[in-house]
Amino acid sequence: MNWPQATFASKVVVAAAQATVTREIDGGLETVEVPLPAVVTVDLRLNEPRYATLPNIMKAKKKPLETTNPAALGVDVTPRLKTLKVAEPAKRSAGLKVADAADLVMKLKTEAKVI
Amino acid sequence: MAILVIAEHDNTSIKAATLNAVTAAGKIGGDVHLLIAGSACAAAVASAARISGVSKVLLADAPQYADQVSENLAVLVVAQVSAYGHLLAAATTSGKNFMPRVAALLDVAQISEIVAVESTDTFVRPIYAGNVLATVQSADAIKVITVRTTAFEAAGEDGNASTENLPSGPDLVQSKVVGRELTKSERPELTAAKVIVSGGRGMGSGDNFHKLLEPLADLLGAAVGASRAAVDAGYAPNDYQVGQTGKIVAPQLYIAVGISGAIQHLAGMKDSKVIVAINKDAEAPIFQVADYGLVGDLFEVVPALQAALA
Repeated sequence: MNWPQATFASKVVVAAAQATVTREIDGGLETVEVPLPAVVTVDLRLNEPRYATLPNIMKAKKKPLETTNPAALGVDVTPRLKTLKVAEPAKRSAGLKVADAADLVMKLKTEAKVI
Repeated sequence: MAILVIAEHDNTSIKAATLNAVTAAGKIGGDVHLLIAGSACAAAVASAARISGVSKVLLADAPQYADQVSENLAVLVVAQVSAYGHLLAAATTSGKNFMPRVAALLDVAQISEIVAVESTDTFVRPIYAGNVLATVQSADAIKVITVRTTAFEAAGEDGNASTENLPSGPDLVQSKVVGRELTKSERPELTAAKVIVSGGRGMGSGDNFHKLLEPLADLLGAAVGASRAAVDAGYAPNDYQVGQTGKIVAPQLYIAVGISGAIQHLAGMKDSKVIVAINKDAEAPIFQVADYGLVGDLFEVVPALQAALA
């Protein structure tokens, strides 16, 4: 759609013609301003989702449901990716238990050689 | 066809994740070109030219690339596409921001977070939070790929690539970066650290988190991470989070302190070489993946560990 975008949003403030979005990036936070309309994808800490109550679920069931198909919308949904195989990654097995901190440091130094 | 890797940088240096993406590109086979879109980024270009395996550095230097906003960057990348069969970027928050836009503009299916290259059109990528590895084959003419950095070694720095200037693309004046709050730290970056000390809900409070873990991390030259529970409880900032929704890490040594080991956390660290778990609950799932487990009260064990290391 060539709309502006703001991904990983943790805070969104919408004003008349633009939105100010705080994004979670690798090193911290980034604040961007995007003109509207824009596409915003959100991070898990944006808000608490509200849960549907039973009466609302019952009401929702009565809403009309419009069915369409990809052809009517003019999109091609032929998969471009073919999954050739799936495999389980190598499992880690439980290692050994050490008695105390001194033992742990000794093992890390002599067995694992990582410190 | 050559392969184009889009570099992540801050105009002065190349982010380490780019080096892993270059290695992944090398495994596909073919000339590897590196695109740098920035503003006054001569220093980044100089270090890019030294990355082994890169035969040419493409530079687009214009004010609209200073913050590498996704709209301008994606249009620039798409403009280069006629010469390339593969476009790669590291699966960092930057790569995951603009690459889907590139894929959408090209109308191709992105192949995300690859962990291995099988052939020029077949790649392995984790699905279901890393519990299954799927081998997928792409039928698209142009492969848009993001690379899980922990799955590939970093490329060396003994190359000598030439630099070519690109005409810059249009400034679309869409999203605009107005501020950045970067966590300042003397410690290494989480995703690049050799050693990580990570804390969970067992730390009890933010104070404990800092007082116990930071000195230990400093002794080991380690980065500090956290589980989602610790971040949600406010013990640590969001960008410390290791796991499915946080950072994926694979250090030489990962020390999990007071982390029970929820599957979402394990998804972010189980490729670490050596895992140490310290937890008072002997049944905690973290012990099932740990090479060394220590059952005990972390408030006694961590200071003892510090004393033993000092």
